Amino acid sequence: MNDEARSNCPVGTGGEPEATRSAVPMGIVVLTFALLFLGGVYFDHHSGWFNARVYSPYVSGEQLELYQPKSGAAAALAQGKKVYETVCGICHGPDGMGKPGQAPPLAGSEWVNAGGFHRLAQIPLDGLNGDLQVEGKDWNLNMAPMGAALSDSDLAAVLTYIRSSWGNKAGPVSADDVKAIRAVVAGHPAVNAGQLNSIPE
Amino acid sequence: MKNGFSVFPAAFIALGLSWCGFVLGPAKQLGTEKQAAVLNSSDTYPIQPTGYATLGLQVYRANGCAACHTEQVRQDGVACEVVLVKAGKNPAAVSNLVSTLKLTGLTKDEADAVSDQITALGGSVETHIVPVGVDIARGWGARQSVAADFLYNDPVQLGSLRAGPDLANIGIRDPDMNWQLVHLYAPSAVAKNSAMPPFRFLFEVRKLGDAPSPDALQFPQGFAPAAGSEVVPTPEAKQIVAYLLSLKADAPLYEAPFTPVTTKP
Repeated sequence: MNDEARSNCPVGTGGEPEATRSAVPMGIVVLTFALLFLGGVYFDHHSGWFNARVYSPYVSGEQLELYQPKSGAAAALAQGKKVYETVCGICHGPDGMGKPGQAPPLAGSEWVNAGGFHRLAQIPLDGLNGDLQVEGKDWNLNMAPMGAALSDSDLAAVLTYIRSSWGNKAGPVSADDVKAIRAVVAGHPAVNAGQLNSIPE
Repeated sequence: MKNGFSVFPAAFIALGLSWCGFVLGPAKQLGTEKQAAVLNSSDTYPIQPTGYATLGLQVYRANGCAACHTEQVRQDGVACEVVLVKAGKNPAAVSNLVSTLKLTGLTKDEADAVSDQITALGGSVETHIVPVGVDIARGWGARQSVAADFLYNDPVQLGSLRAGPDLANIGIRDPDMNWQLVHLYAPSAVAKNSAMPPFRFLFEVRKLGDAPSPDALQFPQGFAPAAGSEVVPTPEAKQIVAYLLSLKADAPLYEAPFTPVTTKP
């Protein structure tokens, strides 16, 4: 029944009433989207992105990861990561990719992935000076003895972290190893590639 | 009813969406749940119950235990506690520092800062993860209940009312089988002012033979049955007690981490 036909119906003679369409008020549209937005914010803060492993009171996977009790190897790695990011990462990058012209990459570096760690450990203890080849590229370096002030366990942790991160698969370094190396090389002027190559790996 | 038939697709969509949300989503998230690794250990959790313990769940269900008991521990928060393990070379300075620091109830960042301060002086510390909450303060569990706790429970008996205590860790709290049996037979014999109804029909009172049955209940003084008779559990009673004793939600898991307390108070 169109509008014209209905208006022709005499009142009370039984033209069937019919719902008409009208636009949703703008206020309700705005309110709906505001509520959806608030709901989204709430989920962002409380849902842990619907992660089945994240239960209240934890709000995210990262927070849950933070509260994992650490022991042994995992604790050493976590400590190494922390030290790396404050001491080494500024030049060598948080991803170990280095900085062009300033710091060579550690990821995949033959110096890091060597079977032994004696050459590697000497670099942060004494610093490094001069020309050095890393992954087939030439670098002219001038690194300060960044690790000389670190404790044996911190330096061991950071060396372990470097040797086992970003695809590197070399073995761990213990605090006693670092202590032994430090006793020999402490106070030595910055080493160069030739000197490093003259000591056993 | 101009658009009468649109009721059906509309209803289908509405039901379909809630089915996706309430059935498909959770099944996708947790339906393939397997035994989980216990933190800092090579063990897996939970241990699959065997024999009477599996049957006991059905007795628990049949007797409506979940109407008054829950099997879920709530956790309101988590705190860190820094514990000094070794004072190191400079014990005086370390103990001086430790006495000035707040070592419990810390967030992870605060705990890290405190352990850095102590390790800087040569001491070595451990950071313990301590779940907090009212249920945990009552001694009902070491951590909150998570999905892994119910891996072998079919159906899960979560419960929603606590007329009685939570049972998620009853196997640790009261590991004594005789205590559990006596408690089922006559709750007030072992738990004063207990509101639990006695489940006498799970037991048989019979005349003492030549020698007492090895299964017979050992009652505390004043609650023993009449002279010349003994109370023996039926298989159902043994099953439900085996089930209760298997309730031990005490493993630290990835989703509910905590540092286990090695010395129980």
